[in-house]
Amino acid sequence: MAINRSSDHESDENTRLYHPYQNYQVPIKSQYLYKLPTSPEFLFTEESLKQRRSWGENLTFYTGTGYLAGSVAGASAGIFSGIKSFENGDTTKLKINRILNSSGQAGRTWGNRVGIVGLIYAGIESGVVAVTDKDDVWTSVVAGLGTGAVFRAARGVRSAAVAGAFGGIAAGAVVAGKQVFKRYAHI
Amino acid sequence: MDTKKKSKEHGLYRIVNAIGYAFGAGAVGGSVYHFVRGAYNSPIGARYVGGTQAASMNAPRLGGTFAVFGGLLSTFDYALVRIRKKEDPWNSIVAGAATGGVLSIRKGVVAASTSAVMFGFFLAVLNPPFGSK
Repeated sequence: MAINRSSDHESDENTRLYHPYQNYQVPIKSQYLYKLPTSPEFLFTEESLKQRRSWGENLTFYTGTGYLAGSVAGASAGIFSGIKSFENGDTTKLKINRILNSSGQAGRTWGNRVGIVGLIYAGIESGVVAVTDKDDVWTSVVAGLGTGAVFRAARGVRSAAVAGAFGGIAAGAVVAGKQVFKRYAHI
Repeated sequence: MDTKKKSKEHGLYRIVNAIGYAFGAGAVGGSVYHFVRGAYNSPIGARYVGGTQAASMNAPRLGGTFAVFGGLLSTFDYALVRIRKKEDPWNSIVAGAATGGVLSIRKGVVAASTSAVMFGFFLAVLNPPFGSK
């Protein structure tokens, strides 16, 4: 399309700018039409009060955090056990190899364990929230109980029951500790 | 939803999510695949035990490999975004090459360079830099 540069809208006496709301007394000013809010818009006000991740974000966040925490903790413990297993006459290469073997082994093992626990916990928690439509301490306790039971299900009913109880107590303790922390730490 | 997603994509939250996604996909997908394969390779009457054994032996290795790859790729991509202040396919390509190089550095410089080129080419196929947009 060719641009007619010689025509200036202001100086052309035979034309005027088109104003679609010229014949209407709408209270909306033109500036409101183009200044859109950056916050997400909710259909119901109750939705804006909720502050939680979606189930997909929950899943990846817990899995990633669990895997990273487990790997780092396991690798750190592996370094110390590697140092402890030095023998007389070890050369520098052998010492480094012991440290790398211990930290790598423990890091991978614990990363896998904690990552799987995070995966199961996130799935069960999102399921419980979807079913009961509430999110409180008991949601975490139920999710912890289910996580422990699922994690140890292959080792027998008794082991699953014990792990479930432990998981529920641990989840409840974590949530209670977090609430106490928020109350006194003001972070 | 776009504004919320945009605020979360620029941060370390992105790396944690990438690791979680990669590990979950590797562990769950690996479990399913190796269970089926173990069951197929077991005699009748021992298929369930064969499947569970194969899954428990191989899935953790696959999950760990996926997590390391996803974490490294996301970390390099994030670093490039911060350095170049730009989002384009070249970030993924360079991040893929760096990931391949780092994962093969133990095999020597030649193997690392070859792996970096191959991974970069792979990412270039996935994200064509001169594609039609």
